[in-house]
Amino acid sequence: MDLKGSIQDLWKDIYNTGDLHHCFNCSTCLSGCPASYGDPPLLVRNLARMVILGLEEELLNEDTPWACVSCSKCEEMCPMDVKPFEMILAIRQWQSANDETRVPPSIVEIYKRGYTQAVGVNTDLRDSLGLPELKTITNNPELLQMFREMLMKTPVVSANDYMFGG
Amino acid sequence: MELCLFLGCNTPAIRPDVERAIRASMPILGIDLVDADNYVCCPAFGAFPSTDTDSWLATSGWNLSIAEEKGCDIVVQCGSCYSSLRMGREHIMHHPEKQERVNELLEPTGRRVDGRSKVRHVSEVLYKEIGPETIAGQLKKSLKGMNGVVQYPCHTLFPSEVVGFEDSAREPKGMRRLVEALGANVNSYSRELQCCGGAGGFMKSTPEQAIEFAQSKFDAILAETQTDFIAVSCITCLMHMENVQNTLNKRVGEERYKIPIFDYNQLLALCLGFEAKQVASICNVPRDSVLSRIA
Ligand code: SF4
Ligand code: SF4
Repeated sequence: MDLKGSIQDLWKDIYNTGDLHHCFNCSTCLSGCPASYGDPPLLVRNLARMVILGLEEELLNEDTPWACVSCSKCEEMCPMDVKPFEMILAIRQWQSANDETRVPPSIVEIYKRGYTQAVGVNTDLRDSLGLPELKTITNNPELLQMFREMLMKTPVVSANDYMFGG
Repeated sequence: MELCLFLGCNTPAIRPDVERAIRASMPILGIDLVDADNYVCCPAFGAFPSTDTDSWLATSGWNLSIAEEKGCDIVVQCGSCYSSLRMGREHIMHHPEKQERVNELLEPTGRRVDGRSKVRHVSEVLYKEIGPETIAGQLKKSLKGMNGVVQYPCHTLFPSEVVGFEDSAREPKGMRRLVEALGANVNSYSRELQCCGGAGGFMKSTPEQAIEFAQSKFDAILAETQTDFIAVSCITCLMHMENVQNTLNKRVGEERYKIPIFDYNQLLALCLGFEAKQVASICNVPRDSVLSRIA
């Protein structure tokens, strides 16, 4: 492994927890991980190593954290309390902050209508099932505006405000 | 007991019959549901939790504050919503500086959050609060004579310290007891605790492997059980386990994978006497083989 480009304190930017350093590469986190069956596989153990070693270039280019299904099995199994799922989220956050192409499109969707799906607009179907009308922020312009203004004060939304226009 | 119903995105938009089943069945068992009016996305793990803590926890805080205002706990069926809301609540409760920041962000919207409303999964409420015996005592129909298998929502098991309610996350019993309460015989199989694989980016980033992963589970069910159906309690498990069976059939060139999938509350509502056209009308794998036998 080439450690020339490694940044010693990078872990503090990405996942600033002492627990990370207790990782001893045991691989237990891989044993029940669905995404470890992927191609390329999501290998939590390797990601922990990369964060500790400060491999910035490699980490920025890693797509595998986005294959995680959020099942948290790794978190249950890790004997050293590294909280690997939280580490996955932390790596994604760090990537999103440093590379706008990583910003997930779903946050634009949620900013625009409050949800990842068209909630509360399928009124005919809901009627036919005897379901009540839903009070959603999609249908409440004033609240939706407040929600957007709140988000606009948070780091990734404000840094990429051009994505949220209109 | 009153609980605040958090619907999430997929259930009300794509599978509102599951919503109908929950709204129909819970009050009969003593749970009054109040709507989480003007809630927003949980937030999904692939959204704000993947960008920054501020937007993540502000969004969780928005949702939690709705239940806090109503003075009750939240109940949720979707596994991801459950896990996201619970993790958000943990962060807000145990980190004063995060709570302060969230309240600063929420302030202009007229909301506040302190974490006093708990987040509960519908299967936990059914299993621990109501209990299988009470459920069995209310039924008008049953699944007698049928075999089922259960799919535990991963998000309700792990990390057990934060989200768990089973005595052991390695040996969960809730879903099994709940389905048995409806009169069915629950079969065990080797890959019972294997994740459905449907959440997050696994299917999107490596679909081939995600489908093979799911196939290994279905092959185990077919080889090791006599099952007539699969009972789930998560909207992602429900939709993914149906869709993947159809994909697999196209691959193998025969209708090998056709196990009907039900959300638990759908089976429950059916056994409580509600009609399938209201509580179990939307599916991608036909359910008639089961519906015709509920008596
Ligand atoms: S299970 Fe924990 S200690 Fe073991 S390799 Fe994974 S992160 Fe490191
Ligand atoms: S939470 Fe993500 S990394 Fe951990 S086991 Fe599940 S899929 Fe793998």
